[in-house]
Parts: sequence; structure tokens; C-alpha cells
Amino acid sequence: MNISTLPPQITVNGVRLNATPGQRPVRVDECVTICELFQKRCAELGDRTAHREKDFGIWRSYSWTDYWNHAKWIGLALRKLGLERGEAVSILSEDRKEWVWFDMGIQAVGGIASGIYTTDSASQLKYLVNDSGSRFLIVENEEQLDKFLQVEDDVPELLKVIILDDEGLHDLNHPRCMMIDEFYKLGQQVETEDPGRFEAEIAMATPQDTALLVYTSGTTGMPKGAMLSHENILAAIECGAHALPTHSDDEQLCFLPLCHILERDVSVYFPLAAKCTVNFAESPETVFANLQEVSPSTFTAVPRVWEKIYSQVQIMAQDATPAGRAAYGMAIKAGLARAECILEGKPVPAGVAAQYWLWDRLVLRNLRRMLGMDKMRRGGSGAAPISTDLLKWYWAIGVPLIEGFGMSETSGLATLNTIEHNKIGTVGRRVPGNDIRISDEGEIQLKGLNIFQGYWRNNAKTAETFTADGWLRTGDIGYIDDDGYVTISGRMKDIIITAGGKNITPAEIESRLKFSHYISDAVIIGDKRKYLTALIMIDQENVEKFAQDRKIPFSNFASLCAAAEVKDQIQAEINAVNKDFARVEQVKDFRLIDVLLTADDDELTATMKLKRSFVEKKHGHLIEDMYK
Amino acid sequence: MSEPVLKIRNIESFYGPIMAIRGVSLDVHPGQIVSILGANGAGKTTLMKTVSGVMDPEKGKITFHGEDIQGSEPHKVVQKGIVHVPEGREVFPLLTVDENLSLGAYTLKDKGQVDHDRDLVFSYFPILKERRNQEAGTLSGGQQQMLAIGRGLMGNPKIMLLDEPSLGLSPLLVQEIFGILKRLNDEQNMTMMLVEQNANAALELAHHGYVMEVGRIVMDGAAKVLMQSEDIQNFYLGVQEEGARENRRWKRKKTWR
Repeated sequence: MNISTLPPQITVNGVRLNATPGQRPVRVDECVTICELFQKRCAELGDRTAHREKDFGIWRSYSWTDYWNHAKWIGLALRKLGLERGEAVSILSEDRKEWVWFDMGIQAVGGIASGIYTTDSASQLKYLVNDSGSRFLIVENEEQLDKFLQVEDDVPELLKVIILDDEGLHDLNHPRCMMIDEFYKLGQQVETEDPGRFEAEIAMATPQDTALLVYTSGTTGMPKGAMLSHENILAAIECGAHALPTHSDDEQLCFLPLCHILERDVSVYFPLAAKCTVNFAESPETVFANLQEVSPSTFTAVPRVWEKIYSQVQIMAQDATPAGRAAYGMAIKAGLARAECILEGKPVPAGVAAQYWLWDRLVLRNLRRMLGMDKMRRGGSGAAPISTDLLKWYWAIGVPLIEGFGMSETSGLATLNTIEHNKIGTVGRRVPGNDIRISDEGEIQLKGLNIFQGYWRNNAKTAETFTADGWLRTGDIGYIDDDGYVTISGRMKDIIITAGGKNITPAEIESRLKFSHYISDAVIIGDKRKYLTALIMIDQENVEKFAQDRKIPFSNFASLCAAAEVKDQIQAEINAVNKDFARVEQVKDFRLIDVLLTADDDELTATMKLKRSFVEKKHGHLIEDMYK
Repeated sequence: MSEPVLKIRNIESFYGPIMAIRGVSLDVHPGQIVSILGANGAGKTTLMKTVSGVMDPEKGKITFHGEDIQGSEPHKVVQKGIVHVPEGREVFPLLTVDENLSLGAYTLKDKGQVDHDRDLVFSYFPILKERRNQEAGTLSGGQQQMLAIGRGLMGNPKIMLLDEPSLGLSPLLVQEIFGILKRLNDEQNMTMMLVEQNANAALELAHHGYVMEVGRIVMDGAAKVLMQSEDIQNFYLGVQEEGARENRRWKRKKTWR
């Protein structure tokens, strides 16, 4: 390549990047593929800690050399066992270091890594393995292995299953299964027989090779695998480095599923560029404790998690002594006063700053330490809309929390607020290097090097997703203000046309409902109906607390949902939201979903969002009841 | 259905700063046996202690025959007809069987009533009559449990709170004691609230069941319905789910529906 024709570069937080994002070739420290960057980082960082994971309650460190060696053995063993370049490998595991090692090992030898949610059922596993044509399946433990065993005859293309945790499986003797230790040994054997093979494989990768498949959660129809190339990911790294700076001494906590592009970016690819350390949460249940222990520098989560942390603080404050409660109230007031100024871009008056300084010393600093947010430079929220009040509360306690928008098809990033350029209630401005436009139908459309290659083995769907002139159709409706900030109002597919012929975007109403602390999620019904109604999933913890404080008797979840006072409270929340909408857009009736749904249920996505189609089908009787 | 004799509403009890019961509500109807199931630390015993007045709830209401009793002194609660048969038998080892029984009738003044109650106890537990002059400490475990229940009966209770009567007993003895409890319920129309780990025996005996987990009720229903629940079968009745593999060790998540 002729050096003079390459785009000029700058250094951001110690990483060389193209000065103007969005230009080819996308280079991160001169590397043009993920695996090339991986090789470079492992060579230069060696014994520095790349990952930390808890083992019997003690945090253990794993270096970049460990990262390199294991990925190497994985890659070589996969090739030895018959993986060809361009073939897929599925990973069915909770977040752990091996997940990331496999991600790198697979990509380094030209494979395509595809994540499967641990909450998926055996039949979903079958679909995902067959659709991706996976030759190998990585399972975490016996529970996940059993899903494979249930469908083993229906996944003929699968060569081998590799098991990470052998607990309870010592006497397993299955021709298609292999334990991880045996698998590493095989890799080591290949390494001695054929030194330099792994490095040669890495050198064969090109920026246009597909590196990973991300199956979209698919609220309608079967999941589709979005193909992301090395270039796509490097473009996302580039956007991230410009808009969401990460430092080499940062600590991070990885807890959202790595199958999801958001966590994958934040916990695998961004740290690869930024050289920072990633800590794996023990389990989804221990996130809050792990957060305290790690006290990360940046923390990206879904609104549900931010909401939970807020609720916990509220509950603690309510149960505190009167003096403690008063101090908390005043501290939040001082914090909000300061936050309002910052968020409006105005200078903070000296009096407000002094108040905040005082309450920060007395209350807020301790609160942040207790939450594990004392070192937090930036919090991020994505994957679902977050309430502005919640965002303000975090700013008030001294945690800068910003909202962004992205999807699998955009390698996770599309629009972002930044600490400096932040407009609350919007999802921010287009990421550096991207172009954005609103189509005549109001759809948000994007162009950029981070836009995916297409859906795996599904040209029809791919064609539908791009416009004739090559822009990505996000399927979201929204608008852009004069300063370039984007607001999303709903999904195109979800548009409801009432019997009166009125077009309504339910997402707008749904997200407003969700901002209530008592409502965890809502689905608006009303297509071809006379008026709108809602199915509502209550937030168990907050509603239980509500009921207890008001001495409302209940025994289990169903009786909680049946309590008249709870229904009245939800009605009040709906009335408050209705006020802001035109008459045809008002919710006239509602029902509570009185079973406690878990991620294993069909009605919920892995990120705990209600799936419209399933909810409408499963709770049809509730819906019919509202239109009697 | 008739008005419940015992109504518990949103009870919260603490051990120091630790919340052991987080808002429990339940009903016991006259003549009913209600079982409370749950693993160790679920708060079952705490709930019993809160009802009998040994512990005071931080929040919530307990009504017995329409009268608020939460936070009452234990002896007042006993006088109202609520008898608590504690976990681990707790008989007075150095007193004789007779003396133990007399202590159970401590609140009664009427001598004739006491003699009648004693005869009743002996009719249900003939072995206690045989050993009436023996020190309670020298009885076998099952006999001590019988004595503890018998002592409870002596107070002429309207409701008995039984805390793990099967604890440490052989299966045969459990059968025997539960048989007697059933007879007491059938013949004397005795209302009972029963805490048990032996879910099978408890659900066989009870009319209604509640399942507690970490201080909350997660499921309730008629005992027959509970026995059919997949969660109850898997987690309390030891029914092994059909797995893809022999020797499966993991269990699916509880959903309580």
C-alpha cells in the first residue's frame, strides 16, 4: 500500500486512528483486522492483566499472554478438527474469560463467532446452530450441554461440542463431545508440530472477511444472523475511541450477554483497542456486588439495570432514619440543581457549586462508593429508552450517564450522546464517520463503515434492509433536531392503525409507561380496534414495596397483581401518561400480566423486553376481555 | 368459605438489622390444616414465632378471631387459644411426663377441664399414659415429640402452631404422628398451622399450602393443587425431571406458577 494515499492519523488516548473517521482503510494502531490488532496487543502487553474472573470467591487475573495462548490453542485445535475458513462456531455460555478467548481464537483462524443466549431453549439452539451452519458448539456446562443432547440428531452439520466446565460430567462418554482441557492439549500439539501456523492464519484475514454473526433478537419472525466484518468492528472501535474514550488503565465490568453486540463492543473489542482490563461478573444475580468490588471506570448497561440501582437507593432512603432521609433529600436537591445547569450547558453558579460540594462530601460521595460508582467516569445506557428523570438523578449523584442508540446491524453504535455534547431525552448525534438521514416515511437511515454486510444466508432480508442507494433502514422512526440530536419515536413495523384509521406509534406510549417505577414493560394494543389498551408487566420489587408500605395484603405475584390498590396505582400512572397524548392515543383500559416472566419465557427477549407478537398471542384472552 | 380464624397481613419481622420476613400475608380458616413449606432460612419458624408473640413484627397485622394480636406478650396469646409447639421438641427433660402435661395446662384454672384434657391427650397418645411418671428426658425422640404436642393440647387451644413435628424422626414415626394430627383435625376439628420440610407428609395432611422463600410467599394453593405443581414436585417432592442424560445434576429455575 502506498503510504501517501492513506488517510492522515491522529493519536487518541495512546491509540493511532484515522483523523477523519469513516475513511478506508480503517486502521487501529496500523491494524486492519480484529485478529491483527489482537496479535499486536498481546505482543506488546504480555503479562499485563487483560481479564479478571472470580474463582471460588477470589478475583484471579489473566494476562494478555494467557489471552494469546488460549486463543491460539483454540484456533489451532478448531482447524485441526476440521473448521474451514468462513465457517461458523457457536458459543453457548454465560460471560466468562473463555467466551472472549474463543471469540478471538475463532476469528484468528478465519472462523465466524456466533453467540447463543444461555436462556435459549433446545429448539432455539437447534435453529441457531443450523441457520449459522455451525461446525462447532461451545457449551458452558452440563445444563447447556443437555440442550444439545436433546437435539443432537437434528444438527447434522455440527462436528464437535466443546464443554468448558466438566463438573458433573466426568463420566460423560459421547463421541461428539470434548472437554476443554483435552481441546487445549490438541491445540498445543498442533502448535509444536506446526509453529507459526496461527500467525499465518491471522495474516490471511482481510478487512472484508465476516468476523462474527449477531443474531437479532427478532421480536417478529425467526432470528436473523447479522454478518459483521473485521472492518465493521474496527469502524465501531474508531467511533468508540472518538466518542466514548476508554483509557488503558480503565477497569470494566462485563455482565450483559456477550452475544449482544453492545456488550461485545464494550467488553471485547473496545478494550482490545484501549488496552484496559475487563472483569467478569460472577453471574447476572451478583452484578451489584461485583460492581462494588470492581468499581469500574466506565459502565454500560441497559435501562433496567440503571432503574434497579435507583430503586434500591430509593428503598434504602425510605427505610433510613429521619435525619438520613432528610440529608439524602437535600443532597439530591443540590445535585439536581447542579445537574440542571450542566445538562443545559450553562455555567454552574458559585452558590450551587458550593452546595453541591458540601453535599458531595457529606452524602453523595458515600453513596457513589456504596454503589461502586466512585471511580465512574461515564455510564452508558442503550438497547431501550431510558427515562429522563432517571438520567438526571444519576447526574445529580455525580455519575455522568449518557444515552446512545445502536443495533446489531450498525455494529452496536449509531448515535451517541457524549459527556460534553449531551441532550437528555435524545439518543445523541450520529457517531463520527456515519451519515444519517430521515426518509420520507420518517425512518432513520444510516450509512457508514460500521454498517453490517447483510444477513447470513438470507439475501431477501438483506435486500429489504437496504435502500436502493445503499442506506441502512433501521426500521425506527424518528427525527433530528437543528443541532443534529436524534429522537426515536417508535418502530415502523409496530405502527398501529386503529379502527378509526389513525396511525399510532406504540413505542412512544410504551416507553413513557415504562418510565414509571411500577411498570417494568408495557405493550400497547389497538391495531384495527376502536381504542388503545395496554398489557402491563409490573416491576415486582417496587410494587411489592408499594403494597407493603400501604398494608395491602398479598401472598404471591398473582395476588399482588389482583390487588385493587395496585391496579388503581397503575391506572394513575396511565392517567398521568395519557395527559400528554391526544385522545385517540390515550390508553383506555389495561390488564396486568400476572405471571412473573423470566428470560426463559418466550414472551421476553434476553434483555427482558416484552415481545409484542408473543405477548399478543399468549395473553389473547386478556386482550379480548378489554374489548368486550 | 367461613371467615378465617387467623389472618396475617403484611408481616415484617427482623433479627436485628436482618429482615427475616418480608411482607407475608396468609389466612387460616377454622378446622383447616395449613402447611407452610420452604427451605432452611425461608422464615417459616420466624413466622410462627411472630404469631405466638415470641417475636414482635416491625410492621403488619395479625388478627385472631377478629382481634389484633400482633406484638402481644406470648402468655396473652396462649390465653387466647393459640398454642405453639416449638421446633426440636423442647420438653422439660427433668420433669415427668405428667408434670410436663400439667405445665401445658398452666393457664387453666378449672381442674375438671385439666383432667378432661389429660384424658384426651392420653387417648391420642396412649404411650404417654404408660410412661406418665417417667422423666421426659428419658423418652425416645418420637415420644418426646408426642409429649410436646400433647402438652400443647393441654391448653385447650383453638389453633395449634406446629413447628416441624417430623424433625429427626424415622419415617414410620412421622407417619404415626401425622396420623394422629389428622385424627385430631378430623375428630376434634382442631385448626393447625404446620411448618414442615417434609413436604410430602405435610401436603398429604394439609388442606392448603403456602411456599416461602427468603421471607416471602412465592406460591400458595390447595394442597392437592400444589402437589401437582412442577416446581413443588421438583424442588420439594424430589421428583426427578426427565433429562437428556442420566445423572443430571442441574435443576431448572423455579418459576412458581
